[in-house]
Amino acid sequence: MTHDNRQNWVSASGIPLKPYYTSADVPATHRDNVDVPPGAAPYHRGVHPAGYRSKPWRILQLSGFGNPEDINKRIKFLIANGDAAIRMKHDRNTADHLYNVDHPEVLARREDVGQTGAVMQSIRDTELCLDGIPIESSYAHPGGGVVQHAPYALAAYWTVARRRGIELSRLAGTGQSDFFVTYLGCVTKQQIPTAPGLRLNADIMEFCDKHLPKWVPISIAAYNGADSGLNAYQELGALFANAVEYLDEIKRRGSMPIEHAAKACGGVSFRLGMDLFEEASKMRAARMMWRDLLQRRYGITDEKVMSMRIHCVTAGSAMTYQQPLNNIVRGTMMGLAGVLGGIQSLGVSGYDEALSVPSEHAHQISLRIQQILLHETNTAAVTDPLGGSYYVEALTAALVEKGWEFFEQIQNEGGFLATLDSGWLHQRAHENQQTDILGQSSGERVIVGVTDFRNDISPFEVDGFRGVPDAYDVAAARLEEVRRSRSSAAASRALRELETACRGSQNIMPAMLDALDSEVTLGEIGDVYRNVFGDWTAPRITV
Amino acid sequence: MADTNTRILIAKTGLDGHWRGASLVSKALRDAGFEVILLGMAKPDEIAQAVVDEDVELLGLSIGGHIDVVERIVESVRQRRPDISIFVGGVVPPWAARKLEAKGVEVYPPGSQLPDIVAAARRLTGLV
Repeated sequence: MTHDNRQNWVSASGIPLKPYYTSADVPATHRDNVDVPPGAAPYHRGVHPAGYRSKPWRILQLSGFGNPEDINKRIKFLIANGDAAIRMKHDRNTADHLYNVDHPEVLARREDVGQTGAVMQSIRDTELCLDGIPIESSYAHPGGGVVQHAPYALAAYWTVARRRGIELSRLAGTGQSDFFVTYLGCVTKQQIPTAPGLRLNADIMEFCDKHLPKWVPISIAAYNGADSGLNAYQELGALFANAVEYLDEIKRRGSMPIEHAAKACGGVSFRLGMDLFEEASKMRAARMMWRDLLQRRYGITDEKVMSMRIHCVTAGSAMTYQQPLNNIVRGTMMGLAGVLGGIQSLGVSGYDEALSVPSEHAHQISLRIQQILLHETNTAAVTDPLGGSYYVEALTAALVEKGWEFFEQIQNEGGFLATLDSGWLHQRAHENQQTDILGQSSGERVIVGVTDFRNDISPFEVDGFRGVPDAYDVAAARLEEVRRSRSSAAASRALRELETACRGSQNIMPAMLDALDSEVTLGEIGDVYRNVFGDWTAPRITV
Repeated sequence: MADTNTRILIAKTGLDGHWRGASLVSKALRDAGFEVILLGMAKPDEIAQAVVDEDVELLGLSIGGHIDVVERIVESVRQRRPDISIFVGGVVPPWAARKLEAKGVEVYPPGSQLPDIVAAARRLTGLV
């Protein structure tokens, strides 16, 4: 299909688009919002009046591979180059499942180990990662994207701090512990069920509330819902349905003020897709919906806790395998959508995303894209530059309306966790994937370099990242060494206490910290989880 | 349409859990009349055993970036079923794709279109 015979003028999420918009297209319910300044309720225009003038968005790139020493080198390199954020990426084979490297499932795939993150099986590996790094003055994401891994990843980082005599209250950073990646996007071989998953997240929230005031305990990452197929308004609705699970649980426990819980959940992550105006509008819609949810459902009146802080990653699935340098343009356009939407932090996918974990060169280009956006385009000069656009205001209002509709559908299915357990949410994602891929073959969807414009005279081939060859052996030797040299009495005691905590209803984090400090290994903790919580039964998706 | 007795096994080689590719491809193959057995995440010896037990004519592997495990699976499967056709899909850099192709494995990276994959399945199972 060419542009000339396109009939279907809709947004990426299917919202019909008019050829042009006028003031009459801004719904009456939204009209009064249009002139509200940024930093004032309902925050669609941004959470701060000075926007990026007061603080530019944080450049936060994901990368990970190798052994703990490689992560250590990469962190030091980034700090030396002015980045104050520490990202620790764990090997997925071990971390996601809480398997040690000698578990049969890992052993059978030994060459895969260490290719997408470092193996960290005990506190000693975490110490290697952080050797010589000033954690007391850094902002850290110590890993734990997957729900069952989060308490371990956080406890490991916090234990290193304690061992260095740094009080937990001084530490700044964020957890993730994300239901979207765990139960929708990357359903791994074995996970604890969603109910104990919710319990762990509530425990993390409570623990941070008491002991780590500068730490964002968890981050709802709807990115993984979107890159599994959910469209813009489904991503919105599902994110808020996820938030409701956390807030309702905290309310039920009565363990911390609901305002604190709201603030703890208020740092979220969205995907940035290729529909420039829809994605920018999505951020505006999100901020409005967050405030509305907190007011309406939880009776919160404190404006200070009602601003949503947004981290975005550009859509990995939008990056093509064919003609990969084109992806530099895609990363730039998606990044721009985020900047126009007033987000707080941004990661731009590498141009080699469809080939491998980002190479150093791709990583550098992603940084440069962000730096060019920030320093050369002048888009940081004015907050919410799209505010007042008839199109963007109409689209913002439409996304709010459809987002709430989807939210209600989820509530009717029994809530967010229920839609994960039943596979309802996976079906919605899969339907969109189907429509998309069929659109590619039918000619309705044009992807440059893939469906059309396939001629490529590129003088060189993109190599992709090659990884490390010895990660498995290094990890296996370290596991042996820990087992041999730790105090087995201390480790056994701590593990027993962790199991008791898991079986009971007390907060799991103190026992987790103690377990890490007593050199209990990742796999041993995983075994306790499997014993106590059992396995989630992943839903069957009707294909 | 295609012969409905032709069986294809689809398995994931890694522990990463990404399911989009395998599920879209299996649906396309089923719609084209193939019988598709979805094995999920499986170890090399499990895949090799399933290929024998399920008596399939074509093995499809969903792969993610690093091919050493894939190469082991291919070897293991061919020891038991030297006749079987194998194709793979997923994230794999060009140099690794060429290594697999040199071993007679067809590679379908991201951006591959479903009609091409279905046509390949027909060709590889001798239906064309």
